[in-house]
Amino acid sequence: MSVGSAAVRPGSPPAVGARMRSGGAQRLAADILGLSPALLLYGVFIVVPMLFALVLSFTRWNVVGPIRWAGFANWQLLFSDPLAHGALLTTIELAGLSWVVQTPLAMALGIFIAGRQRYRAVYASIYLLPLLMSTAALALMWQGVLAPTFGGMAFIARNLHLGFLDQNWLGDPRLTFYVIIGLVTWQFVPLHTLLYQAGRRAIPNELYEAIRIDGAGPLQTFFYVTLPQLRYTIVTDTILILTGSLTYFDIIYILTQGGPANTTLVLAMDMYNVGFAQTLFGYASVLAVVLGALGIAVALVLVRLTGFGSMRSGQEGIS
Amino acid sequence: MGAAAVALVAAACGSSVAPASPRSSSSSGAAPTASITVWWVTNGTNVNDMWDSIAKTFDAQHPGDNVTIDIQPSSNSYKQKLLTALAGSTPPALFFTWGGGPMQQYIAANSIQPMGDPGQSNAGNPSWKSDFLASSLQPVTFHGKIYGMPILGTQPVFFFYNKKVLSDAGLSFPTTFSALLNDCSTFNAKGITPIALGNADQWEGLMYLEYLADRIGGPQAFDNIQNNQANAWSQPAIQQALTDIQTLARDKCFNSGYDSVTYTNGSTDAMVYGGKAAMQLMGDWDLGGIQSDDPAIINSSGIGIGKFPTVTGGTGNPADLVGNTTSYTGLAAHISKAQTYVAEQFMQYFYTDAYATAEIANGQVPVISGTSSYLGSSSLASYLEPIYQDVANAPSFQYSWDQALGPTKATPMLSNLANVFELTETPQQMAAAMNPYQTSS
Repeated sequence: MSVGSAAVRPGSPPAVGARMRSGGAQRLAADILGLSPALLLYGVFIVVPMLFALVLSFTRWNVVGPIRWAGFANWQLLFSDPLAHGALLTTIELAGLSWVVQTPLAMALGIFIAGRQRYRAVYASIYLLPLLMSTAALALMWQGVLAPTFGGMAFIARNLHLGFLDQNWLGDPRLTFYVIIGLVTWQFVPLHTLLYQAGRRAIPNELYEAIRIDGAGPLQTFFYVTLPQLRYTIVTDTILILTGSLTYFDIIYILTQGGPANTTLVLAMDMYNVGFAQTLFGYASVLAVVLGALGIAVALVLVRLTGFGSMRSGQEGIS
Repeated sequence: MGAAAVALVAAACGSSVAPASPRSSSSSGAAPTASITVWWVTNGTNVNDMWDSIAKTFDAQHPGDNVTIDIQPSSNSYKQKLLTALAGSTPPALFFTWGGGPMQQYIAANSIQPMGDPGQSNAGNPSWKSDFLASSLQPVTFHGKIYGMPILGTQPVFFFYNKKVLSDAGLSFPTTFSALLNDCSTFNAKGITPIALGNADQWEGLMYLEYLADRIGGPQAFDNIQNNQANAWSQPAIQQALTDIQTLARDKCFNSGYDSVTYTNGSTDAMVYGGKAAMQLMGDWDLGGIQSDDPAIINSSGIGIGKFPTVTGGTGNPADLVGNTTSYTGLAAHISKAQTYVAEQFMQYFYTDAYATAEIANGQVPVISGTSSYLGSSSLASYLEPIYQDVANAPSFQYSWDQALGPTKATPMLSNLANVFELTETPQQMAAAMNPYQTSS
């Protein structure tokens, strides 16, 4: 209704022709003016700090002293620093594994709570609970549960004779990384579930009716209707999971500080240690630049590979 | 002015200690007035309240001046916050700090000034220097100038053991490292953890390295590291100390999961006073912690204090101590002359007999000269008196390595050492990781 009614609104100036004649320059000026608040905020809070980090990466600085030029020394250090290499690998593992575990879980839960089952709202509120708590509170809570000797798990293990629960959850190099994966999943699946719920709700019922008439079972329905229709939700969610886990920090900082034996030392944690603990802000900026570049690269590659940029409707001919 | 202040503090603390001689400068007519902010790290409600009441007393006696003490949370983030504040234009005039490495960093950046008496041009050589034990001013003396004043007691590290657990096992406190290892197997056979350790915070484990390195190689072993001697982490004394740590871990001398337990939530203390563990290596602040959780065991002298055992063939003196010599306040550089004057006036309240008595009442062992004569007033007297004697007589009192080295070296040292404790890194690997830091840049 919008376009047609606007053109005939009484009293509106006959501007269409005039605007077309005035040409590109004025249009460009208007575009820039309109964009300027967003560009300004983006510039001040995103671009300038990023450039500052890039400049800092070529310096030595401990916050209190003067900033001294260091040339490529920090960048050379990056290539001979086994801790950073390990941290990069751990970060990639964390991102990959998070995606593999969280995507199917979130999709299943999202589709489920988008449905019309009885008590669905009750289940949904329970699933979404972790989303409402602050990460620091979550981490401290889990620290209490997982602590040896006086922790909740140790208590259950002792009193219910479930010996296998008495593990050194946060201090065993073979175990702790997977504990962290579990906690991250527990914390973030609710968010992704919401995305999939919205995605599933947006699929028109006509499609399901049509495929039901064609005689498809639940599996075929999922693979021929639901999954293809959720394509863009999957891409968006994948970008969120991957870039989110690249910079993942808080739970690791509170629970393990990167230990045991550096098995949970992700790049963000390493960057924090080098910068804020060791006060080597030059080298920490190198790690920050690497982390930033990695995040941008992942997002760009995904957008390219999936055609997300030229997103078209997946519902031609419907509605 | 000074004498009145001392008298009032003394009265507030209910002590009858005679006020010391007036310490204020020659009155110069119109003394400058100013408002200052003080950032001191929390040391429990009692100590925080004591500081607060001194600030109120000061304000009352110095019309026009205003001292605000901002109690800071005790955490690593305090150091980061302080770094940024000191570099800025409105730093806290007085700030809680450690000696050694961090202070060196502030000096290099010109964000701290040497301390003097108010209105005097003796910055770096204050008259109050003789009011403190000489060893307590060492970590804050650089280029012959004093940059900090002790505001709390001394914190040497000892083994604190549960006397009943030891006597039930038929053991006395081990004086040699090999006896300690033998005791470990005795305790383990009885289902008791020999040593409670919460190494999730990493500094707990460092105390073992500090003591073992001293017992094996004497103070020289660490001096070499601090002085950036090449390959100092490969010294035999350091390597043996690290190997001994791994022996303790392999022989199950520590509680299971020690690398994910923290001391700060009180769980290792609970193991000791609860009889689940025999002993714990900790700073003497631990007595205050145990006292608040389980006063009965303190009052019945149920906790014993043991010196770190000697190591066969070691050259260190068994009376050497390690720990935090004390905690300090520093004086920021980027403040006005009037603020400096007021801050230095305020600091006159912190080396009086009255303050020492108040510290003792809160379980501290002050580093103010002559402390021993009134330690008896403390509820922990039977514990604190021997500790004070040990500190006064220690041939060497090594300042905690992480504080002495500063953050750039200390952070990788702590994380590599945690790996050594977890047996995921060998002593040689730790040396290879740490030796590159032996440069003075």
